[in-house]
Amino acid sequence: MLEIKNLHVKLEDEDKAILKGLTLTVPKGEVHAIMGPNGSGKSTLAYVLAGREGYEITDGDILWNGESIIEMEPDERAAKGVFLAFQYPMEIPGVAGLTFLRTAANAVRKRRDMAELSTPEFLKVVKEKAAKLNIDFEMLKRPVNVGFSGGEKKRSEILQMAMLEPSLCVLDETDSGLDIDALKVVSDGVNALRSPDRAMLVITHYQRLLNHIVPDKVHVLAHGRIQRTGGKELALELETSGYADYTGKAA
Amino acid sequence: MDGTLPGTDGTRRDMTVQMLTTKAEQAILKTFEDNAARLPGGKSVAELRRAAIGAFASRGLPSRRVEEFKYTDLKANLREAFPLVTGGAADADTTHGALGSHFGPEFAANAVSVVDGRGTSSGGHTFLADSKAVSMDWVQAALADESLAASADLLLNTALFTDGAVIDVPAGADVADPVVIVASARDNGLAVLRHIIRVGKGAKVTLVEVERAPIAAGLRQSSAVTQISIADGAEVVHIKVVEAHKGSTHLGHWQVRLGANVSYKPFQLTLGEGLVRNGLNVDFTGQHSTLDFGGASVVHGSGHADSTLVVDHKVPHCTSRELYKTVLDGQARAVFQGKVIVQPGAQKTDGKQMAQALMLSPDAEFDSKPELEIYADDVICGHGSTAAEIDPDLVFYCTSRGIPTAIARGMLIESFIAEAIEKVEHDGLRDALIGIARDSLAA
Ligand SMILES: Nc1ncnc2c1ncn2[C@@H]1O[C@H](COP(=O)(O)OP(=O)(O)O)[C@@H](O)[C@H]1O
Ligand SMILES: [Mg+2]
Repeated sequence: MLEIKNLHVKLEDEDKAILKGLTLTVPKGEVHAIMGPNGSGKSTLAYVLAGREGYEITDGDILWNGESIIEMEPDERAAKGVFLAFQYPMEIPGVAGLTFLRTAANAVRKRRDMAELSTPEFLKVVKEKAAKLNIDFEMLKRPVNVGFSGGEKKRSEILQMAMLEPSLCVLDETDSGLDIDALKVVSDGVNALRSPDRAMLVITHYQRLLNHIVPDKVHVLAHGRIQRTGGKELALELETSGYADYTGKAA
Repeated sequence: MDGTLPGTDGTRRDMTVQMLTTKAEQAILKTFEDNAARLPGGKSVAELRRAAIGAFASRGLPSRRVEEFKYTDLKANLREAFPLVTGGAADADTTHGALGSHFGPEFAANAVSVVDGRGTSSGGHTFLADSKAVSMDWVQAALADESLAASADLLLNTALFTDGAVIDVPAGADVADPVVIVASARDNGLAVLRHIIRVGKGAKVTLVEVERAPIAAGLRQSSAVTQISIADGAEVVHIKVVEAHKGSTHLGHWQVRLGANVSYKPFQLTLGEGLVRNGLNVDFTGQHSTLDFGGASVVHGSGHADSTLVVDHKVPHCTSRELYKTVLDGQARAVFQGKVIVQPGAQKTDGKQMAQALMLSPDAEFDSKPELEIYADDVICGHGSTAAEIDPDLVFYCTSRGIPTAIARGMLIESFIAEAIEKVEHDGLRDALIGIARDSLAA
């Protein structure tokens, strides 16, 4: 279970608070969506969950399976099952996709006391998972994300997620930059990972994605806090009314 | 004040030179006097040597006031000169050791090896110390090349070279295996080599020069000048690996002349904590030729690696590409000087260069100096240079995937340098170079 308690976050070198008392719980087996206007702090929340530098938690806590993770390094969190699919996946020139995937997969397996994958085992798994995501295997021989289209980058994120078998999946605007076919492939990939042992936090600005990845709950983030929580119909409501109700002065 | 200061009369000037000669310069002059009679080559070569040492004596080692050595002050940094090695003592069977473990046995099999300044196995080629080789017209012409009088490090080489490979690739030859020249020498010695290479029309060859001191080696000094003339339509890959440890010095220079429709791909890998200078002069003398240079260095601690290129587009329609990458830690320093000259009439020249440094320490220094001298109007020339630390965003991306920080940083550093090494197309060579660079990064 993910428990975010009264989380206050600001940038390390600026005084401006971004998250101001955000509280949220995602039980295992559930998929929760976070929606909110641009600039409301959705990516900040995602980064703070993954442990990116540059943010300061001034109050509150984040518990994953009952354990506070806010002091942990990103790789330690990953070993504990935390995975962030980036809004803007990074390009790593010179590091082949396969090398990256294998290094990452074996690093987390080692920390989870699982046997590392041998080369043939690894290749078999990657080939299978890549095929399901419509990713050309040859593409994985190229440097990570370099020269990939927006859609290819997002699919590559989901492949990484599938390889690392996380228990907490945070997807930041995975739908942005995807055409309808790619959206379907990516959503199928995410849905395939839904399981009673996994919690998922799906961040999106648009309702569209939630037609494909149907959430158990929808939260609206604005002014640094969750303003409203509802079922999947809340997403549809936001689609018609927009975020106007939430973009004015803080409630 | 230095030795080049004009005096009012000859005597006075000699006195000035005398007074300001450094210990290393004195040792070099003495080494010449001690060895001149025994150095190889006939009368004409002896005359060249005498002229070279004379010019060296009046100029001295280049200080930072010499533009080409602005960032690599040999006068200040070369505290002493070791005695010249002229063969003998070292174990003749050191080729494999000097190549190191990353080059497969196929590289050692036909290697041209030079131990302690003397050729020991020729791999089917000849050595400059052979009286027959040195007296060949094309070799004599190469030795007399006036461009080698341009700077004191080259004069030193002309005065003192004890041997070197003479490689003659006939027109039309397609040499399947790389020709590997391996140089090794004993500690506390100065090894001076001259390699002379001719590649005939339409020939294809890969040349590899390796000079690596084993990790436990003591201090070494070496100078190696390679002259290579490439005829029309030939394709040449030319690789050098230099590894010099703390207190050691290597002064390398390649003097290259390209005919028409030539493809020349030099790549230089420099490693360690020593003082290394890699000079490269390329003259385009025929149209539609291409130079595709790659350089990579991993410089540690107090090390200093200098790559200085002068590319002279004398004719139209030629292309030059230069990519240099360096990784620096401690107080290491790398220098990249890339001069591109486009002579009047050399229209449609296309010259681009990029120099990039990855700074692993705030005390490291990267000096990058592009120089464009363009005397034609219809040309494309460009250059770029960056010096940066490891991108923390990329480290985060890797660590968020469970990769520990140290491994993530290692991967990013390796990928940075590998981007230059990837220019080497030969699989076995590229893998060897990446392996060597990886070892150095881990050191
Ligand atoms: N690293 C950063 N540097 C400067 N401003 C930032 C940074 N991260 C977030 N912000 C600011 O914090 C606010 C929230 O940003 P973000 O979390 O990216 O919002 P969202 O993902 O909801 O669009 C914005 O005003 C943004 O400009
Ligand atoms: Mg965002």
